Amino acid sequence: MRIVVIAFANFREILGKERQMQAKDGATVGAILQELAASSQAFREAAFDDTGALRDYVLLMINRKRIDPAQEISRQLKDGDELAIFPPLAGG
Amino acid sequence: MIEITDGEISLPEMIERARSRDAGAVVTFLGTVRDDGIVALDVEAFHEAVLEELRAIEKEAMSRFGLRAVEVVHRTGSLSVGESIVAIVCSAGHREEAFSGCRYIIEELKKRAPLWKKERGERGERWVGLGGAE
Repeated sequence: MRIVVIAFANFREILGKERQMQAKDGATVGAILQELAASSQAFREAAFDDTGALRDYVLLMINRKRIDPAQEISRQLKDGDELAIFPPLAGG
Repeated sequence: MIEITDGEISLPEMIERARSRDAGAVVTFLGTVRDDGIVALDVEAFHEAVLEELRAIEKEAMSRFGLRAVEVVHRTGSLSVGESIVAIVCSAGHREEAFSGCRYIIEELKKRAPLWKKERGERGERWVGLGGAE
């Protein structure tokens, strides 16, 4: 299946604004993040700590709805889902 | 009107759109680039998601404070010290509702709208909220 990954702020600088990824059916949010980490050391260091846990400041949206990474890292994605990765908000 | 723009913000035009015969108060908030020793401030938006969030905040503010009109414009792109980042205009029957509505919108925008700022200085650059210079 196809997943669209979009990134903002420091994560955009590492990953680029948007990329299409091919993933196995039923791939989880965590699996996509791990795949990105495997392809980019900069992303791995920015997103994961030394123990391999996702850093607290990493925020995620699926199809423009915020998800709680602590609770939903194992959530399965669907074909065409858009996963957004970004740091804490700083508008205004 | 809710807008994300690379262009300059026109507060007078926003005020004119917010005026009405049944509004006795128009309150404005203008957020500007503070001189914290920076050369420029880059503002980045998750455009579609910001618009969705701001429309939700507008709806909440309209019903919670009985506002007559709401205008929100947020800049993106590279801004200099003193330039406007965000402008909010709220009109209401009376000043109390207009002040409360305007305050509610800026506080919720800061908490909920997917926007980011990068400070560029003489000695480096850093994303606001992410700690020290890179």
